[in-house]
Amino acid sequence: MKIEKANAGVLTNFEVLDFLRSRGAKTDPMGCLGAVTASECKVYEYLLKTPACNQTRESVFEFVKRSEGFRLADADKLNVINWRPSSAADAYAMIEECGRRFSRDERGDVRDEDEWVQEFLEIVKEALPPPPPKAEAVQE
Amino acid sequence: MPPHLLSRPLPDAIKTELERLFLDKVIANLGLCVSVYDIRSIEGGSIHPGEGCSTYKVSFRLLMFKPFNGEVLVGRIIGYDDKGLQVSLDFFSDISIPGHLMQFGTVRGPDGRWMLKTEDGDELYLDLDDEIRFLVSSTKYPPIPIDQKEDDPPFAPMQIVGSIKGDGLGLLAWWAADEEEGRRRQSKSNSIVLL
Repeated sequence: MKIEKANAGVLTNFEVLDFLRSRGAKTDPMGCLGAVTASECKVYEYLLKTPACNQTRESVFEFVKRSEGFRLADADKLNVINWRPSSAADAYAMIEECGRRFSRDERGDVRDEDEWVQEFLEIVKEALPPPPPKAEAVQE
Repeated sequence: MPPHLLSRPLPDAIKTELERLFLDKVIANLGLCVSVYDIRSIEGGSIHPGEGCSTYKVSFRLLMFKPFNGEVLVGRIIGYDDKGLQVSLDFFSDISIPGHLMQFGTVRGPDGRWMLKTEDGDELYLDLDDEIRFLVSSTKYPPIPIDQKEDDPPFAPMQIVGSIKGDGLGLLAWWAADEEEGRRRQSKSNSIVLL
């Protein structure tokens, strides 16, 4: 076997979920035996627990369009689309060197990084749908 | 293409054969094969002398699980030992978070569980079945060992090393409460704000 291209492209969780869905994966473990294998079912069930489960192609496109001003790397966009940060701490985890990169704008002037992060989180909140609430109630 | 599959339509038969060969298997440096994405071209169909199966040259794409360094993943803690934590995504369980890549101040408690002591004096334990968000630090593909001793852990062809050192990483429960408080606090970058 010859490897033509080791990395033909990166897929977000949503795209993998969409692909498995189109192959016939369902949550019912018995129902999807014919179309997809057990290992693919496991991946499908894992992805259903992530924020990717109710994303749509349009929401992903909208997010990419609206976040152009932030000059994110592809890796950052992937993390954000996959995990939908909702707080500043999440954003710092998902965007590499967030503090340093958000502290200067295009012209090189210093700007308030907290404000910029909040603006970014607003775009995320509006463009990407929130994940459905978990089945068990969260205890404080 | 073994003879018993020849009665099926060719693309299906080839897909079944590819799935048998690659699905749920690790290819060194390329990751874990999750699915056959598509088949781009099929050529050939010749039969070699002495064999009953026909040979095709197939160009196809595989959907691989291969997180890049710096990708964020969320999994469940399935074990811990003196080296660190073991985390599982339901379809992949060879993920370890070593002690030196945990939040500063995480130590092993008296009962063996790892524990983070915060500035406020709270002791945050990392328990089994807790959901944990981590950064992929590196992925190793160790070569297949020639012989293994009796009590060696089962061979893992693909091992992911994760890190929870940084803002937003660690147990999801640590950061969930932060959302309501996020707007009130003025947090400077790289400082850990917990509860």
